[in-house]
Amino acid sequence: MIKVENVTKKYGTFTAVDNISFKIEKGEIVGLLGANGAGKTTTMNMITGFIEQTDGKILIDDIDTLKRPKKTKRKIGYMPEGVPLYTDLTVKEFVTYMAEIKKVNRKEIKEKVEKVLKETGIEDVKNKLIKNLSRGYKQRVSLAGTLVNDPEILILDEPTVGLDPKQITEIRSLIKKFGQNHTVILSSHILSEVSQICDKVIIINKGKIIAVDTPKNLEERVSNDNSVYVTVEDKENKIDSIKDKIKNIKEVKLVEQNNDGTKKYMILGEKDKDLRKEIFEVFAKEDITIFEMKKADSTLEDAFMKLIEGGEK
Amino acid sequence: MIAVIKKELKGYFLSPIGYIFIGLFLIMMSLIFTSEILGYYKSNNFEYIFFSGATILTFVIPVITMRAFSEERKNGTEQLLMTSPLSLTRIVLAKFIAATIVVVITEICTLLYFAVLSYYSMPNITITLCTLLGFLLLAMSYISLGIFASSITENQIVAFILTVGLLIASWFLPEVNSIFDNFSLINIFSGFPYGQINIADTVTMISFTALCLILTIIVLQRRKSVQ
Repeated sequence: MIKVENVTKKYGTFTAVDNISFKIEKGEIVGLLGANGAGKTTTMNMITGFIEQTDGKILIDDIDTLKRPKKTKRKIGYMPEGVPLYTDLTVKEFVTYMAEIKKVNRKEIKEKVEKVLKETGIEDVKNKLIKNLSRGYKQRVSLAGTLVNDPEILILDEPTVGLDPKQITEIRSLIKKFGQNHTVILSSHILSEVSQICDKVIIINKGKIIAVDTPKNLEERVSNDNSVYVTVEDKENKIDSIKDKIKNIKEVKLVEQNNDGTKKYMILGEKDKDLRKEIFEVFAKEDITIFEMKKADSTLEDAFMKLIEGGEK
Repeated sequence: MIAVIKKELKGYFLSPIGYIFIGLFLIMMSLIFTSEILGYYKSNNFEYIFFSGATILTFVIPVITMRAFSEERKNGTEQLLMTSPLSLTRIVLAKFIAATIVVVITEICTLLYFAVLSYYSMPNITITLCTLLGFLLLAMSYISLGIFASSITENQIVAFILTVGLLIASWFLPEVNSIFDNFSLINIFSGFPYGQINIADTVTMISFTALCLILTIIVLQRRKSVQ
């Protein structure tokens, strides 16, 4: 269990992390979400003991990270941002080195290295120099180095940055797999990633926590809008007077004008009323041809933007 | 700690750095050996080359120490090291020991000159051992200063220039005022090739080494709270 209590980090007069507190239970996959410079990496660096907080306390299984750093560091596997690696070593040498400095029992090193190479799918490149590997493989090597001592807690700083879509899916499924029996904290500024992988999201903005919730709850928190997107062919602009025909419509907004003469509108309705049936029927009577109609899903993206805007006010 | 020493040694000998250091040093020593011992003195005083050797050391030691921490910092691998359960003291010591091992290997290579001389007439073994000990102590002081310089910058070139600059400054300090006589490592070393192991000199060099290593640890520790 990780407990962060009133932690502040100051660089001179600049406050990077401002009095944050949160708790992460064993086995949870938690996403730290925030724009660049929000304080995600700083927070992670403090938990791993790479830097020290100006104020506050961080407890890992009730052990203070400042008082007994050796003990807490053993419990954590940290994959820093930008996957720093010793590029002059081969994959196997690197992972073995990581096992050694993390004080894995000497007799177990060989076996654990083999196991983790297999788990992360880099067995076939184990004798290659790291500098000759592609970005996706480097990410896996870094992950292997993080996992080699079987840490209880995995801390991954932007684990999918710089990867192509195929590699992203692969790394994500690897993280999910390890999330089954590890506590995982990962940071990201990609919302869909967090909502796919994480049980819980901590949103940070300008060094402050503005929300801690499940991805689903966060989406619901902002999903009180009820809007429908329609793409129509409407030569006589009858849609301007549609508000009079359908009472539940609050607002009609032009979103996009396509080259083929069709227009995309957003139609905002009263709460909790599904407008789609009525729109379909009335538009047909009015000779407005519907090309496409879609109920707008509120996404984590909306939640994020709203929360950040709200936090700044 | 042994893991870090091994990895550092690998770093020296998988990259050109280690070979450049040993090669450069031995080429210069060989030139001095041929011109001074065989050419000028025509004696079997093996230890004489180490007077010049100490000067050469000023320029080659920074080659092996400049990367110690600056490169780790620049590449971010520092994060891997600092978040491992190894203590800062062990990390600093490991880097120091690795560089010292490179110097020891170099010293062993210089025994070649000893072998050449002993073909003609046997050099004094006691003085030879005494010189090698003094030279090692001198090298250790230089290495520790180099490691310290590399801990305060992430630029290897800056670390190199800083080390050479400080070492050269230490040559000239005694000329400014005799108060600084004991600050010149090279002066302190110069007793050893005469076969004198002076306790004060030995302690000065060892404590200088310790001081630089402690300063390095303090710099790294301090960075945790300010960076």
